[in-house]
Amino acid sequence: MSEHSLFDSAPDAELGAALREALAMPFGAAFVNRACARLRQERPRSWDEELAGWFWQGLVAASLVTLLAGWGLKAFGAVDESDATTVTSAAGQLLDGSTPGANILLASMTAADTP
Amino acid sequence: MTGVDEATLAARAGKGDADAFGALIELHQAMARRVAYTILEDREDADDAAQEGFLSAWRAIARYDPSKAFRPWLMQIVVNAARDLRRRRRVRAADSLDTISPASRDNPAREAGDIDLGERLRAALATLPERQRLAVVLFDAEGYAQAEIAALLRIPEGTVKSDVFHGRRALRRVLSTVKEEWDE
Repeated sequence: MSEHSLFDSAPDAELGAALREALAMPFGAAFVNRACARLRQERPRSWDEELAGWFWQGLVAASLVTLLAGWGLKAFGAVDESDATTVTSAAGQLLDGSTPGANILLASMTAADTP
Repeated sequence: MTGVDEATLAARAGKGDADAFGALIELHQAMARRVAYTILEDREDADDAAQEGFLSAWRAIARYDPSKAFRPWLMQIVVNAARDLRRRRRVRAADSLDTISPASRDNPAREAGDIDLGERLRAALATLPERQRLAVVLFDAEGYAQAEIAALLRIPEGTVKSDVFHGRRALRRVLSTVKEEWDE
């Protein structure tokens, strides 16, 4: 057993060597030949193919962003609409008769229009 | 072939040079297969996973950043390939494997009573949780830094230290027992 402490932050050379030997796999050259043969049947993806691989994820993400943006706009739009209902237009104020002097103003306007 | 050579090969492979990638396979096959075996505990499966890892790395070579080390990037892919294969195998063959202990699958000599240090270490590894196995193999056998292992396995560095500690404790026990037997 090596003098290496269990707490050592450096690799244990003796244990490491024993593990490499225990886990060693036979037929390395045959593995390399087989892997290289498979390799030549494949080709690396180019950048556009990599991007194409992300197409559906991108589409889903864009849809979610659009939905969220739409929801946000609608929410803010609702606030604007409620603001608009509190500010009555000038024409509305004239016509609803609640504003003092509105009837006089209306009468003068209609009189001015009469030939 | 390490250091600059590996970086040069990786850069050439990144431009689609299959020969350069073949040289990288030759350079890293032993380690990739050992790490795959650590996860799968079966030689044929380990070879399948290592090969699939190399092919996945080749397909995705455009994503490799040449400014970073190639080895951890490759090993991450090999670990993922081995874990994927283990999941598929578990689903497909759970019944047949349940009746056989992992350590005995690749040990024909075990039945003959001819158990050497390697077999005992493999048997001891098989009793450890996968994360501990990987941590101690990557650290002590393959020379990865604890920070690299943490990034590779996506766990905190403190967890790696703890896993290495517990893994070593179990494996050193085997080492010392075998040595005592040899001394007798």
